[in-house]
Amino acid sequence: MLQTTATLIARATLGPAQEIVLHAPELARALAPGQAVLVKCGWGLDPYLRRTFYPVAIDDETWTVRVPPGGDWGHAWLRAAPVGTQIDCLGPVGVGYLVPPGVRNVLCVGVGEEAWSLLPVVALAEARGLSVALAMEARTARELIPPARLPAAVEYHAITADGGSTAGQWADLLAGLLGWADAAVTAAPLAFYSQLAAAVRGVRYDISRGFAQALYPATFLCGTGACQSCVADVAGGRRRVCLRGPVFDLADVVT
Amino acid sequence: MIELAPHNKLGLALASPLIAGSGAVGYADAWPPGVTPDLFGAIITPPITWRPRRGLAAARLAEAPGGFVLTTGDHNPGYRRVLQDHDGAWRRLGVPVIVALAASTPEDWGRLAASLDEESGAAGLELQLPQIAHRNDAAAWIGAARRSSTLPLLVKLPTSRAVALASTCASAGADALVIGTAPMAAGLTPDGGLVEGPVAGPVAFPFTLYALRAVGALNLGVPLVAAGGITRPEDARACFAAGAVAVQVRSLAWLDPGAVRQLTREWDADERGTTRRVGLSALNSGR
Repeated sequence: MLQTTATLIARATLGPAQEIVLHAPELARALAPGQAVLVKCGWGLDPYLRRTFYPVAIDDETWTVRVPPGGDWGHAWLRAAPVGTQIDCLGPVGVGYLVPPGVRNVLCVGVGEEAWSLLPVVALAEARGLSVALAMEARTARELIPPARLPAAVEYHAITADGGSTAGQWADLLAGLLGWADAAVTAAPLAFYSQLAAAVRGVRYDISRGFAQALYPATFLCGTGACQSCVADVAGGRRRVCLRGPVFDLADVVT
Repeated sequence: MIELAPHNKLGLALASPLIAGSGAVGYADAWPPGVTPDLFGAIITPPITWRPRRGLAAARLAEAPGGFVLTTGDHNPGYRRVLQDHDGAWRRLGVPVIVALAASTPEDWGRLAASLDEESGAAGLELQLPQIAHRNDAAAWIGAARRSSTLPLLVKLPTSRAVALASTCASAGADALVIGTAPMAAGLTPDGGLVEGPVAGPVAFPFTLYALRAVGALNLGVPLVAAGGITRPEDARACFAAGAVAVQVRSLAWLDPGAVRQLTREWDADERGTTRRVGLSALNSGR
């Protein structure tokens, strides 16, 4: 893990959130998809806790985070920070997504705001020449990842409640894609993972270890395991997400 | 060198007045970037218990203005597993390791102290008194640890009862007093849940300083260590001026590791001045 000063170099509003591009080459090179960054959102001692972000883009020298709307005063500070602001960051935290060797078809499944953190692994898999499909569910079309953000070769399936899609259509879509996939990566609210596990069982009869990786959407205090604040009941015990995750085997999250 | 246990035959000499507070670097196995053992005079482990404890389920953390509330339920694998996994590294660390004993099971402090004395490379023990400890109970628990072990005993007092308990603890065998565990608080999680535990971070510092000054005025003749909310050089200086011979940091290491190194740099500068001598001379004169 590194502690580094990043420079805010660009910002844009996209959907309900604001995207901020941070320049910190050393950290950008260390980041892997699915790993977190802890950002100090303020000049002084308040707010004291860092905010946890899962980057939505990782490039050679920069990385991008999405700052959600809402009343959190740390996020508010970040939304108001002008271009050029120096921001203290700690990262990368935890274990990210792995693209397993030998797979050809990778399915990415995202729900809501969490889905955006799949973008770096989508880019990684596509860059390796794999066939990639992204299935995303959101409440409104405004919350969806725009197709322009995806590599051209990625097959994109989007479902929204305001577009008249039903839970049955989402389940059918997943079932079809799970039959095609050699591996799956997912980022969603925790409640979705049981639904996904049921879909995997329906198609593949079992959630075999190594097939699906799930991002446990935790927030972190220290990121080193010292504070013991980020525990979750996963992988057969009460584990520190910053050490064992935040990306787990789906089988560990739902059992 | 700073002697934390001047009346103990083993002694506890620190090369630096900065101590990694309980759990700041885990069991000396969770180092934030840029934070190294040589920055500290000693390292204190997370609180351990005789038997493994699974601790509380999430959520354990809630933010509060100027700090946070964190409670783990003394999550730890039990003393045997802690020693099995970490004792070898402690012996090679080059910095004294002080093992903290959990406030949740003070009735086990006697047998824990005996076992750690015999089996571990611990340089001392930090007994973390419960928030609502009665004087008689505190004396009994500390006495049990004292009879079971020759290791230096640091007793961590709740700041809200530090003055009421300090004299009893010193008489019962404490080699040094740690001031202290911040008051209990309840914090709201983003999803509306509640986390109850000692408040931590800068918001805890006024409680630490008040209790430290009050205990210092008792002239007990035991070294005092300040803990709780120390995040800036001026906080540490105020503690030394109030009679502390050492200070603990915890959340600072978690949230701004670079500031820990900065703290030591400031002290190095102070070494050439007078700030620390104020604290040390105050102790030596029994103030």
